[in-house]
Amino acid sequence: MKKPKIGIFKYSCCAGCEFQLIYFQKQVLETFRAVDISYCKMLDSGGAEEGPFDVALIEGAITEEWQAAQLKRVREASTYLIPIGSCAVCGGVPAIKNTMQEMEVEKRVYGDTSRIHSMKARPVDNYVEVDGAVRGCPMGERDLTELVTSLLLNKKPDFLEYCVCVECKLKGSICVLVAYGEPCMGPVTGAGCGALCPSRGRACYSCWGPMGDANARALADQFDRMGLRREDIFRKFTEFGEPTEEFKPGAQRK
Amino acid sequence: MSHRERIDIDCLARVEGETAIRIELEKQPAIELKIFEPPRFFEGMLVGRRYDEVGDIVSRICGICPVSHMTTAILAIEKAMGIRVSAQTGVLRAVMTISQIVASHLIHLYMLAMPDYYGLSGVVEMLPRFRKEVGRLVKMKEVMNDLTSLIGGRALHPVTHMPGGFTSIPGEEDFHAILARLRKIVPEAKRVVEDISKLPLPDFHSDSEYVALDRGNEYAINEGRIISTAGLDISVDEYGRHFQESQVSYAMAKQSVMRQRNSFMVGALARAHLKFDKFQEETKSLAGRIGFSIPCDNPFYNNVAQALEVHDGVLRCIQLVESNVFEDEAINVRVRSGEGGAATEAPRGLLYHWYRINRNGVVEKANIVTPTSHNFLTIEKDLKKLVKENMRRGRNEIRLLCEQLVRAYDPCFSCSVH
Repeated sequence: MKKPKIGIFKYSCCAGCEFQLIYFQKQVLETFRAVDISYCKMLDSGGAEEGPFDVALIEGAITEEWQAAQLKRVREASTYLIPIGSCAVCGGVPAIKNTMQEMEVEKRVYGDTSRIHSMKARPVDNYVEVDGAVRGCPMGERDLTELVTSLLLNKKPDFLEYCVCVECKLKGSICVLVAYGEPCMGPVTGAGCGALCPSRGRACYSCWGPMGDANARALADQFDRMGLRREDIFRKFTEFGEPTEEFKPGAQRK
Repeated sequence: MSHRERIDIDCLARVEGETAIRIELEKQPAIELKIFEPPRFFEGMLVGRRYDEVGDIVSRICGICPVSHMTTAILAIEKAMGIRVSAQTGVLRAVMTISQIVASHLIHLYMLAMPDYYGLSGVVEMLPRFRKEVGRLVKMKEVMNDLTSLIGGRALHPVTHMPGGFTSIPGEEDFHAILARLRKIVPEAKRVVEDISKLPLPDFHSDSEYVALDRGNEYAINEGRIISTAGLDISVDEYGRHFQESQVSYAMAKQSVMRQRNSFMVGALARAHLKFDKFQEETKSLAGRIGFSIPCDNPFYNNVAQALEVHDGVLRCIQLVESNVFEDEAINVRVRSGEGGAATEAPRGLLYHWYRINRNGVVEKANIVTPTSHNFLTIEKDLKKLVKENMRRGRNEIRLLCEQLVRAYDPCFSCSVH
């Protein structure tokens, strides 16, 4: 069997999703043998960014022009293009700044902003068509395994479409929202983490980003009834991606 | 005037984050570490966020040392808000930080640094010839990541760690299970030191001042005074008076200098300089066996110091887990205003966070200075000296030497820009 060629590209992010690839511990040696990582700057000094690639994995949000331009070239050179991790999928933490005045944010960090050319942090699908998404911050092992095996078996990956609550129920965890009154983002957050936070004694903070048809408004109303202030509700819906379409009704609740 | 001969490295591979290097081959070589990693403006976007979100947010500065950013931020916030934590919380933080340092060093040593010394481009190319070594990396890293994850919920961007303590504590049997696995990798940790001692490290000398945290009789990680080999000895509260960051025209990262002093180096080699005597006896004798002693002014030996820390870190995690019983605790935090800073030893060296929090518990101002900003000027200074001393060599050799030197510092450009 011809090994599929994979290209891995990093934009504005912590590089954690690339590290997550090697956190793939037991499978790592096997995975490396089954695919050909033909471009990954952090892992290897060889390789050509021009491709072609069977699959391009993209981590990071797009915050600069050169990234958008390169991303479009990568799209052209790849059969499949998949954003990996919250930054690439929904903007992630880098997109918190989108909720603020750009210049104000930049000036807090740099005295001289004349050489800073940062744009609003946008997910990959804002610029190119994508063929799926591996959610999570860092990206989840389950979806990543599903992606790699689907690629090897030439089948369509089956990504989870439900919310964290379903995983909590499957695990038999006590609901931190209902039982403990914690402002949990589980009802609107995409599953895949195995309901990690609720099973470790804290409310979900939505690092997986929004579930497809989330009812953000209803959850924001619930937070309001629990006594959260409007700013706190806003922060809940903006920690991983400026209000995306799904989260807008929650973040912008008056 | 003739055209200056130049070496341009457009995008340095096998480092965390993005930088180019420009080397002008002159009698007085000019060097620019053009860190083009895009800024994410963490200090800017943290303003307006709540104190209990900060750890989760800053963890995302770095995918290789998230625990360090999270812990340093939480320590600074606790200082600002006058939050006290239990001794148990301190121990769990130490175990989590050390386990991450060991895992980070392993990645750096085997995946980023080692390939250069065998003329290979990366770990995949290493596999056929170095199956045992790569196996060692994978096996050890798995145990260390699992230890971080046991306490933090996951190794990358932990979830249980909050201002005031941990949201849940693993059971005794889980600690027993990891302890057994830790004990099993001690012989592997010894072999890491042996593997690294075999690398043909270039002969090079730097006149750097070394800076690290120091406290009592232990190898300080999450607290202590900031000391140096040239006599600096200050409390973390005095950091701002002694260290200054400034912007440079060609890089997105800032450069940190000590006021009225030399540039300096932080990281494993600096720590080894300042607290070699606080290593475990077994680590010290291992160092003796491979012929490593302090002082050592060769920055390439940062790799060796990291290997010694791998060994020492595994032993220390075993001791800390063995000698403590961990129990569930409540987190008690009262929101109040204040400001405060904290410094810790991240894998790559001294890391500093500072916050001002208002009476609603919201961040008003933030400052983060990373190890790579601390090392930035010294990396450039050492590159200049290295190029000057090797001018007669071929371009490819000079290029490789420069890349090896930068990698030896184990820079993290994502962190440095943040």
